[in-house]
Amino acid sequence: MKNRFLIVVLVALMAVTVGFAQTYRIGFANLSEDIAFTQLVREGMQRKAAEMGNIELILADNKLDGAIALSNTENFITQGVDGIIHFQTDQAFGNVIMARARKAGIPVIAIDIPMPGAVFFGADNYFAGQLAGEALAAWVNANWDGSADAMLVLELPQSGPIPAARMQGMIEGFQANVNTALAEDSIIRLDSKNTQEESFRVVSDTLPSIPNAKKIVAITINDGTGQGVIAAAEAAGRRDQIIVVGQGADPTGLAAIATEDSRYLGSTGYFPENYGDKLLEAMVDMLEGKAVPPSIYVDHVFISKDNICDFYADDFQDFCKK
Amino acid sequence: MIKFLKKTGLQDVIALIVILVGIIVIMSLSSNLFLSPRNITNLLIDSTTVGIIAVFSTMLMIGGGLDLSVASTAALCGVIIGVFQASLGIFPAVLIALAAGAIVGLVNGILVTYVGINPLITTLGMFSIARGLAFVFSNGLTIPVFDLSGEHQAAYDRFTILSEGSFLGLPYPVIAMLLLFALGVTVLHLSSYGRAMYAIGGNELASKMAALPVKRYRVTAYVLSGISAAIAAIFLTSRLYAADPRAAPGVELTVITAVILGGTSLAGGKGNLVGTFLGVMILSALLNGLRLQSTSTDLQNIIQGLVLLAAVGFEQVRTGNVNLDIRKMFSK
Repeated sequence: MKNRFLIVVLVALMAVTVGFAQTYRIGFANLSEDIAFTQLVREGMQRKAAEMGNIELILADNKLDGAIALSNTENFITQGVDGIIHFQTDQAFGNVIMARARKAGIPVIAIDIPMPGAVFFGADNYFAGQLAGEALAAWVNANWDGSADAMLVLELPQSGPIPAARMQGMIEGFQANVNTALAEDSIIRLDSKNTQEESFRVVSDTLPSIPNAKKIVAITINDGTGQGVIAAAEAAGRRDQIIVVGQGADPTGLAAIATEDSRYLGSTGYFPENYGDKLLEAMVDMLEGKAVPPSIYVDHVFISKDNICDFYADDFQDFCKK
Repeated sequence: MIKFLKKTGLQDVIALIVILVGIIVIMSLSSNLFLSPRNITNLLIDSTTVGIIAVFSTMLMIGGGLDLSVASTAALCGVIIGVFQASLGIFPAVLIALAAGAIVGLVNGILVTYVGINPLITTLGMFSIARGLAFVFSNGLTIPVFDLSGEHQAAYDRFTILSEGSFLGLPYPVIAMLLLFALGVTVLHLSSYGRAMYAIGGNELASKMAALPVKRYRVTAYVLSGISAAIAAIFLTSRLYAADPRAAPGVELTVITAVILGGTSLAGGKGNLVGTFLGVMILSALLNGLRLQSTSTDLQNIIQGLVLLAAVGFEQVRTGNVNLDIRKMFSK
C-alpha cells in the first residue's frame, strides 16, 4: 500500500514536472529557401524542435535581403519569441537587426554571418577551406604531376571576412601542399554571388581568356557554384581540363561527388542537417541562463568518393555497393 | 445607384475595400497578433517601399507608360547615398541620389518617347543597367551608412529619424507614403497635367491633335517614377543603416501587381490612386498575414503571382478584351 502510494506520488510529481517544463518560442529566419543547403538547415531545425518537444519554432525566409531580414526580426518580436536564430546575408545589416533584438531583450544566434552581440554559430571557415585545398593539392599531385595552370576562385565578396576566410583556407591549403605552387597572376577571383547561375555565367566568360590553361583547378564557396563551374567547362568543351572542390556537401554536391567520372572532387562537409541540434540546444541553454561559448563551430570533414559511403551510405546505395 | 457607382469608379474601390476587409478578417482569425498595434506598424512600414514607388508608377501607367527599372533604380540610388555620404555628408548624398533617380527616369523617358523604343524593352534594359551600376559603384558590397568619423553624428541622427521617427504613432515612412499618395491624387485629379495623363493614356493620337505636349508629359512621368524610386531608396537606406546593391529584389513586380490590382489599366487611360493604395494594402496584408503563420516562401510567391494574374484577368474581363463565353472560346 505504501509502495503504491509512493509510486502514485512519483508519477504525479513527474506529470507536474512535465507540465511545468518550459516551452520556448524560437524564431528561425533562414537565409533563403531556394538553396539546398539552407533547406537542410531548416529541416534539421524542425526535426530537432520536434524531438525536444518544448520548442515552438516560428519560421521565416530572409530571401537573401537585408530589408526582409529586418522585417522578419520585427515580426518575430511581434510574435513574442523568446530567442531568434538568424541566418542572414550580410554583416552590414547586423547592427540594425541586433539593435531591434537588444531593445526587445531577445537573445540571438547568428549563423555563418556574425552580428554584434549575437552568439556566432557556423563554419570554422578557414579550417574547412584548408581541408578542401589540401585534398585538391593531393589530387593535382597524383594526377597532373603536381602542377596546375590556373585557379578559379568562385567567392562571395559581399558577405565579408568570414566566408573570405573559407576561400583563403582553400587557396593556402592548396598552395602549401601542391608540388608546384601557382603564381599569383594565375589565380583568378570571380564573384559567384552564391548561385549556380552566376557561377556558370562568370566562368563561361572567363574560360576564353585562359585558352592555354589545360589544367584548371577551381575552388568554390558552395556546392551550387561548383556545379556552375563544371557546367560552364562542359559547355566550353573543356570538361577534362578542370577539377573542382567546394564547400557544404549538400545533396547536389554529394550527388555530383558520387557521379561516375565526376569533375567534382569533393566538398567540405558542414552537415547542415545537424545544425539544428547544436543551434536549438545552445539557444535553450541561453534562455535557461547557462553559459554558452561566443562561437560554436561545425565539425568539418572533407567528403569525397573515398568516404562518402561512411556518411551517406543510405542516400547513395548503388554507388556504395560498388 | 449601381450606375452612379460605375460612373464614378467607386464600384471598383468598394470591391477593393471588401477584399481588403476580407483578408483582414481571415488573417485576424488565423492569428490574434495580426491586428496588434505592433504588427499593424510592421505591415505599414513594410508597405512603404512599394507604396512610395506605386504612386508615380500609377501616374505613368495611366499615361500609357511602364517602368520595370524602379527596383534597380532604388538600389542604385541607395548605393549613391552610401558612396557619397563619406566625402560629401549624408544630406548632399541624399540630394545626389534624388538627382540620379531623376536622371534614370529622364533617360527612360527620352528613349521611350523621343527614340521610340518600347517601354517594356527600355525599362528592362535600364533594369539591368541600374543594377549593374549599383554593383560597380559599390564593388558588389553593402555599404554601411553611419558616421564613421564621429564628426557628423547630428546629421546621421536626423537621417536615421527618417525611418525610425513617428508622429501620432505613425512612422515617418508611412506618413511620407500617405503624403505622396495625397500629392498624387491632387496632381492626377486637380491639375491639367493629371487630366492630360488620362487623355494621353486613353488616346494618344487625339491628345496630340488636341495640342497636348504628349512627349514632354510622358518624359515628366518617367522622371517622377525615377524620383519615387530614389525616395524609396532614401527610406530603405535610412532603415537599414546600409546601402545594398541587391536591395528591393522583385519590388517592380509587386508595384505593378498593386497598381493593376488597384484598377489601373495596362493599356493606359484608366486608374486611380485610391485603388493603388488599396492594392498596396491588400498585398501587404496578405503577405504579412502569411508570414505570421510561417507560410512557406514558395506559397507566398505562388499567391502573389496568382493575385497578379487575377488582377490582370479581371481587368481584361472588365474592359471587354476577353470573352468568357466558353462555347465561343472553343467554337471555330
